[in-house]
Amino acid sequence: MTDRLPLPFGSRIKRDAPVRARFDGRELPALEGDTVASALVASGQWVISRSFKYHRPRGPLTMAGHDANTLVQTPAAPNRLADELPIAEYPDTTAQNVSGSLMADRNAIIDWFGRFLPVGFYYRAFYKPFGVWHWWERMIRKAAGLGVANLSATPHYQDKQYLFCDVAVVGAGPAGLSAALQAAEGGASVLLIDEQPELGGSLSYHRFAIDNEAVRSEAETLIASVASHPRIKVLTHALCNGWFTDHYLPVIQGDRMFKVRAKSCVLATGSSEQHVVFRNNDLPGVVLCSALERLLNHYAVAPQGELVVLAGNDQAWLTAFTAAEAGLSVAAVVDLRDAPEDGALLAEARARGITVHMAATVYNARRDSRSQSLCGIDIYQIDAQGEVGNLIAEYDCAVLAMSAGFMPAYQLACQAGAKLDYDDDRAAFTLTGLPAGLLVAGSVNSMDSLDAVLVDGRNAARAALRCIDMTADEDEPIICAAQVNHPWPIFPHPKGREFVDFDEDLQIKDIVNATRLGYRDVQLVKRYSTVGMGPSQGRHSALPTARLVAQATARSVSETGVTTARPPVKPEALGHIAGRRFHPHRHTAIADRHDAAGAQWMPAGLWGRPAFYGEPNHKQRCVAEEVMAVRTGVGVIDVSTLGGIELRGPDAAEFMNRFYTYGFLKQPVGRTRYAVLVSEQGVVIDDGVAARLAEDHFYATATTGGVDRVYREMLRWNAQWRLSVDIANVTAAFSAINIAGPDSRAVLESLGCSIELSAEAFPYLGCREGDVAGIPSRLMRVGFVGELGYELHVPSLFAAGLWDAIIEAGAQWHIKPFGVEAQRLLRLEKGHIIVGQDTDGMTHPGEVGLDWAMNRTKTDFVGRRSVDILAASAPIRQLVGFSLDLTAPKPLEGHLVIKDGDIVGNVTSCEISPTLNQIIGLAYAHPDDANPGDHIAIRTEGGALVQARVEALPFYDPGNARQAL
Amino acid sequence: MKILTCPLNGPRNIAEFTYGGQVKPIPNPTGATDQEWAHYVFYGDNHIGVVREWWMHTPSSYWFIVERHNQTDEVLRTFDPAELFDAGASSANEPARDDS
Amino acid sequence: MSLRSPLEGCGVIEGPRGLLLRDLSLARRGGVRGAGAREWLLSQGHTSPDAPNQIVASSESGFVMSLSHREFWLLQPVGEASTGRPASEAVASGVWPLYCQHSHAWLQLAGEPRAEVMAKLCGVDLSDAAFPLGSVAQTQAARVSVIMAAHQDENDQPVFSMFVDQSLARYLWEAIEDAMAEFI
Repeated sequence: MTDRLPLPFGSRIKRDAPVRARFDGRELPALEGDTVASALVASGQWVISRSFKYHRPRGPLTMAGHDANTLVQTPAAPNRLADELPIAEYPDTTAQNVSGSLMADRNAIIDWFGRFLPVGFYYRAFYKPFGVWHWWERMIRKAAGLGVANLSATPHYQDKQYLFCDVAVVGAGPAGLSAALQAAEGGASVLLIDEQPELGGSLSYHRFAIDNEAVRSEAETLIASVASHPRIKVLTHALCNGWFTDHYLPVIQGDRMFKVRAKSCVLATGSSEQHVVFRNNDLPGVVLCSALERLLNHYAVAPQGELVVLAGNDQAWLTAFTAAEAGLSVAAVVDLRDAPEDGALLAEARARGITVHMAATVYNARRDSRSQSLCGIDIYQIDAQGEVGNLIAEYDCAVLAMSAGFMPAYQLACQAGAKLDYDDDRAAFTLTGLPAGLLVAGSVNSMDSLDAVLVDGRNAARAALRCIDMTADEDEPIICAAQVNHPWPIFPHPKGREFVDFDEDLQIKDIVNATRLGYRDVQLVKRYSTVGMGPSQGRHSALPTARLVAQATARSVSETGVTTARPPVKPEALGHIAGRRFHPHRHTAIADRHDAAGAQWMPAGLWGRPAFYGEPNHKQRCVAEEVMAVRTGVGVIDVSTLGGIELRGPDAAEFMNRFYTYGFLKQPVGRTRYAVLVSEQGVVIDDGVAARLAEDHFYATATTGGVDRVYREMLRWNAQWRLSVDIANVTAAFSAINIAGPDSRAVLESLGCSIELSAEAFPYLGCREGDVAGIPSRLMRVGFVGELGYELHVPSLFAAGLWDAIIEAGAQWHIKPFGVEAQRLLRLEKGHIIVGQDTDGMTHPGEVGLDWAMNRTKTDFVGRRSVDILAASAPIRQLVGFSLDLTAPKPLEGHLVIKDGDIVGNVTSCEISPTLNQIIGLAYAHPDDANPGDHIAIRTEGGALVQARVEALPFYDPGNARQAL
Repeated sequence: MKILTCPLNGPRNIAEFTYGGQVKPIPNPTGATDQEWAHYVFYGDNHIGVVREWWMHTPSSYWFIVERHNQTDEVLRTFDPAELFDAGASSANEPARDDS
Repeated sequence: MSLRSPLEGCGVIEGPRGLLLRDLSLARRGGVRGAGAREWLLSQGHTSPDAPNQIVASSESGFVMSLSHREFWLLQPVGEASTGRPASEAVASGVWPLYCQHSHAWLQLAGEPRAEVMAKLCGVDLSDAAFPLGSVAQTQAARVSVIMAAHQDENDQPVFSMFVDQSLARYLWEAIEDAMAEFI
């Protein structure tokens, strides 16, 4: 381990807090505050990973978590970025995508026959002869896989939280800091978000001038003002990973995803420094200038060996001076330009004894076979755009820092709909066309001098304030003349290996060849070559790709453009999206009583309902016993999940009459009617029972799953009809219990009931209000299960008490609670349909025998015209009852009904009836086969056709005498 | 996530709302031809421009009408249906809740 | 006959900084809706908010909460729910009583970090600045519909009253309990 640099270098590390860590099984000395990557470089190792395709050795490029070269494996997860991972939290990491060892990867041989793996090779090779792909696929997957998922990892607690602010500022560099401060001073609540652990962005590592002292103290003041401002909330180590409509920002910090709601938003996301494209520019030890600055200033790591700086702008020279001050041996500055913009740089370099080569480039880098890293470079004169002349120098350097320019961190802005235009004079992309309330500031807005960046931040804050109707003072004038981008930092080499995209191992020829194969559009180049598809999402490859495609297709870079930016900006764990589980579940007021009685639960929409009571492995026997209790004694079922809608007012009957298919105007008070709802398309969508409690008061039930829709439709229709009726969804207000069976009247009488219960006083289909066991109840005589029965609807706070009273009073009649399974069987025996089970999205009333419920004497009801049109057209199917002997294979719901080889329908319900001792069911059949005594062919499990008899409905008690007792 | 401004409840996440289709005139159910009726039931306009749509604020069950440009997705105006349907009946369409 | 809260057995959840989640489902409440509802309320001697989605203190240590121009709930945190038949007939012409005693559970969250707790569940800004005392929001929390009301409790402490479909009360309680965990 080399010694770290003295202060002020090393702002992130704690020198007195050593960390015992390991990388790839070997001891790795480190300090608290180090990342895995900084500790590795400090120990003299540049190599961290092997590349995706050629298995070339790779090291950190950005030191900011912005490239894929640093992907490593932690015990819990693959594909973590070594230049982001705090080593104190992740002391044990390994290299990934390695066959053998990191330093001697067996698959590195691929690099030698890489010319046989041209761009898009997997689209064009490996598919002949037929079937050979499966063999290749195994090979390729093994060679090209990245890390290994830990399948036994236990998910930890991840959650989400809303955060609200007036102005969100993304990026806490100089532009973000000045924007945040200006907005807060203007009275706005501000949220300042940055990916890095500290405030300052480039201020924390970059040198802005030859003499940086003034900048340093200005930065400290600015950071302190922001950090202490009461209206600024700071989120560091927080990644804003997308922009969504109306400034909805997902911000990930630790295990939490903040859902930020801002009224306006300033993007101060900065820019990505760009690499120079030359042969072997991917060697470990070749880094961006900003990466070297981060190593020095954040981690006090001074890489060993000589340094050469490859400059496409003045800023790179400043990196050389910082490195020299840190004690690095700076051999040379190689500048792509004819002269620096600021002549003082030449004098400063001369004073520091740094050799300068103007109008020159690194044309080739050399690799040391032992360290697998950079050991030398060849400097060539630049003759023309992308063309070199003579070799002018060679250096045996171990570190090359480069800066070809800066690409705006455009991702968030482009997600919001902004466009990138290429400015030929500045050789840079600029953002235009931002939506209202979204501002950009700083280098993402092509501002490059520090003064301009600070002013731009303040102006963006002013604009943001005005967008949200807050006052702001006049904008400050802004001047930014700096040129930071070199127009053509791309130098093809006859032997190739000049990497455009490090993630995907793509060279110049791969991009150019894609255009030659006809993929002229940059979107197609991306899909064909995979450029920009890697984890760094085009941060470094988009600009050279746009330039290369423009040149190869003789278009401008603006015309070529870059590929679409979509969220997320950086890869994110699915756990962040999942967050905490919000799975609403509803249960009735009696749920605990069912649990105590041994209920087995089944879902019904959001509700849990008892399927049956008893041991799961005795289901059929339990259900049969419940059925027999209802048929021969008395059973009780919780039907609180049934929808309830109350209609009150002088127009209540008129509303019912227009909404449902049946007639309701003349419905007597104290009587119920069957209420069928069809859609405007004439499709049956719900049914229930409507009780008229008073002239101006109806209480209508709806299906468990359908009530929300029914209620919604009622309100929408009345928003148009504007009848005088109050419509209320009272599903939750009333709980309901159905007592059914020959003994139900006796049970009810023994409970103490204020209503006369005799068949004469309270006949079938009647409804009454009264007290049962002292509880205010609405009683309806219904026949869903086909026995004498009473449905009791009570205000929900009373429900548990009523249930207890019924169970206690019913004991002498051996009352049994029954579940949904028994109820479905009982109603099937009666041939009653369940809307949604026996109907589908096409079912019209005539197909399920509901013609009788269509009142054609009234003027209109919702869907009436469609019902009429359907009824007048030739029927194509009919729902029928069918039966089979118990020895036949039992059809399942969904099994097809076949006629002359064609599908004519399907089974919708099918059960074994203990009452009738046969298999019974409902199915759609051809209308020619719909009469009792006909036969239909059902294709059952395994494909066997069974012939079922069509039966008259109901199967049980055809005279309907029992329910009317 | 988009924000929609409910005339009753103010600006809210679009997730709080239920879409109810385009506002379109209903042909006379007895006078219209089968084709006219089928067109009403099954077809919707698909022109680029400002459309009127039904939206409901789900937690308050309040239906209202939105004028929205379907190319820019910009909402120009939201208002109570009374503005379109006020027939003079005594009761208005005011929010009834999922409950009481 | 006794009434049973849908949150029976949940107790209370307490934490530092005054955090307290409790069940008021058996406290007395009612409501009216209709064109003349506001006039009827005033005629009964109640105070009434003059705009929708507000809550004001009224007589008998109770509150009146407006949910629209024509729907009002009467909340009495210290009163007991009636064990009688809920009224269903018009109390005045076009003014209908509501069943909110039975339809909605009533949860109350007190404590300084209450808005932070709810920010983990709810997309409406419930901070003091954005949702001052007297505010009401009909919104969603943990993906279910909730009425949120900011008012003072019997000790003049600011609280959120939350009304949720009684069948979802236990689900919401558990969601809030989970959201509170990091503060406890």
